[in-house]
Amino acid sequence: MPVSNDELRGLYYYANLVRQVDERCRRLFKQGRFHGTYFSAVGQEATVVGPCYGLRPDDVIGIQHREIGAVITKGMPIRYLMAQLFARQDSPDKGKSHPCHYGWKPAGIITPASTIAAQTVIVTGCALAWKIQKKDNVTIAFVGEGATSNGVWHEALNFAGVHKLACVFVVQDNLWAESVPKRLGVPVDNLSERARAYGFPGVTIDGNDMIQTYETSQEAIRRARRGDGPTLIEMKTYRWYGHSEIDPANYRTQEELEAWKKKDPVPRFERVLMERGIIDEAYKQSTLQKIEREIEEAIEFAEKSPHPDPSSLMEDVYAPLA
Amino acid sequence: MKTMEPTTAPPAAAPDVKTMTLIEAITQGLHEEMERDERIFLIGEDIASYGGVFKATRGLYEKFGPLRVIDSPISENFLVQGMVGAAIVGLIPSPEIQFDDFISLAVDGIVEHAAKMRYRSGGMFTCPMVIRCCCGAAVGGGLFHSQFNASWFMHAPGLVVVAPSNPYDAKGLLKSAFRGQNPVLYYEHKRLYRTVKGPVPQHDYTVPLGKASVVREGSHVTVVSYALMLQRSLEAAEKLAAEGIEVEVIDLRTLAPYDKETILASVEKTARAVVVYESSRTMGVGAEIGAMIAEDGFSFLDAPVRRVSPPDAPQEPFAPVLADQYLPDANRIAQAIRDTVAY
Ligand SMILES: Cc1ncc(C[n+]2csc(CCOP(=O)(O)OP(=O)(O)O)c2C)c(N)n1
Repeated sequence: MPVSNDELRGLYYYANLVRQVDERCRRLFKQGRFHGTYFSAVGQEATVVGPCYGLRPDDVIGIQHREIGAVITKGMPIRYLMAQLFARQDSPDKGKSHPCHYGWKPAGIITPASTIAAQTVIVTGCALAWKIQKKDNVTIAFVGEGATSNGVWHEALNFAGVHKLACVFVVQDNLWAESVPKRLGVPVDNLSERARAYGFPGVTIDGNDMIQTYETSQEAIRRARRGDGPTLIEMKTYRWYGHSEIDPANYRTQEELEAWKKKDPVPRFERVLMERGIIDEAYKQSTLQKIEREIEEAIEFAEKSPHPDPSSLMEDVYAPLA
Repeated sequence: MKTMEPTTAPPAAAPDVKTMTLIEAITQGLHEEMERDERIFLIGEDIASYGGVFKATRGLYEKFGPLRVIDSPISENFLVQGMVGAAIVGLIPSPEIQFDDFISLAVDGIVEHAAKMRYRSGGMFTCPMVIRCCCGAAVGGGLFHSQFNASWFMHAPGLVVVAPSNPYDAKGLLKSAFRGQNPVLYYEHKRLYRTVKGPVPQHDYTVPLGKASVVREGSHVTVVSYALMLQRSLEAAEKLAAEGIEVEVIDLRTLAPYDKETILASVEKTARAVVVYESSRTMGVGAEIGAMIAEDGFSFLDAPVRRVSPPDAPQEPFAPVLADQYLPDANRIAQAIRDTVAY
């Protein structure tokens, strides 16, 4: 199915929104406007915007710490995302979780824990429930290549394969798991090869090519919705900044970084749209201005939101027992 | 002094009451709850047409079919953690852990995900699920088929931990577990499966979570216990009655969050307490109950709170002569009670 111009413009909006929000969050952290840390995904936008664009609200995504772009594209309003980073009362988690553990029920984003690969397991369980309920929802489970070394990820893929669940497993291969290079984490170049062992297809694609990540995901989503089972998509990409904002990323070379910056997915996608006449300079400027306003509004919302009441420490531990 | 049935049990003579084993009560509870609520489904190893290694899920696959009674791969992490997702999108999953000895593979799912889901999401997501887990020593299972690790999970706020000692409570607690919004870890002691029988109503009833029961009244000393050790404590109390020692026996039933009020009210009356539990001694159920009594009931006490438990051996060993040394029997429990009363 060819990608329509409307879809391309939608993807363009989200690619830029995600990039701008992410860069802004880094600054806010460095300015000390929120504490803890911040996990930037600048450079990896296409690996999340492509898969999440166009999902239904009742589809579910499984995220780790770096999936800010998935969360935004799936429909979490950025004012709540900011409130989450700022740990305020208006954060959906009411200040309980940790920066970058975004959750937003209306958009099917389950608040994650920190355990790597765990959300893949949880959303695979959602897909089992949909099979029992005879529903056609799908889930997309995101991990980095580092998480694929963890046994629980394999348990989820194995189970999804056995029961042909409506799952799309996305591996964002950004070459580094915190400070550990990929070659010390996994003994294969292409992680999509893993899919064969679980009885479903796997593909490796250029994770910095927005149109490719979108088209490949769409095909996998359609397949899952039809009841034909999971797909594993490995997307080759790179994170520009440290593991989080407190990591100077001294373990990698400047040359490696510069080479990947040349493959920046956002301007690359923009060039294609300009060349095809789908957007022009005026469209670009008005999009960026709109985004700027949205971000300002979101930050204001978050900073005005009160801190949680100290008495809420013991709220939401248990539901009533009886 | 009188011996009582569990305080919540109806008289055995009622027309719709049947005498059942603990495992029969559980199986019946599962049948009834799955009939009542079609959101409930079971998943576990060997639970479908095989009916479970102890036959607790007998007949359910035939009645409810392959979408509601699912044989799982050997995948303890997925079994629990995956079901958190199934609960979030509206079902009520009941995963079965075949032996508590393997629950360590599912701890992340239980502690980080099921127990914390409500808190970590500010109440956006709840995780109603009933994790059934077969546990316990005294069946010759050796180191890796005898464990009862409940105390690990009493340290996980957000999780309800239940361990019935008799068929009536087993069915009633199971029903409450399926009807609430909390994740429940429901322990089934395999030694009790077929050795304890009791009256089980055939009409719908529940036993409340978080409430202990006074299963025997007495004025000289309070014994707090649960599951198999509760049954052995009752035996000890019976022996001691002949010696003129009146033991009040409390069945915790729910281990977390547990019922402090019932324990403290009893200790206020008896001034003495013994905690009898099945796990290695240090940092077990006795540590918490003992500390709680010392903190909140110190002025009631005429004697130190005593713990009766297996020693800090890793687990009940396999050789029968060693295994015999492991779990407290009624004699050991009775002696600790005598010492406490004589203090
Ligand atoms: C089970 C577990 N072990 C360790 C960590 C600490 N940790 C957080 S992120 C991370 C690296 C993750 O790498 P990857 O999955 O490739 O994702 P990326 O950070 O590259 O997006 C580590 C080791 C964790 N959160 N969970």
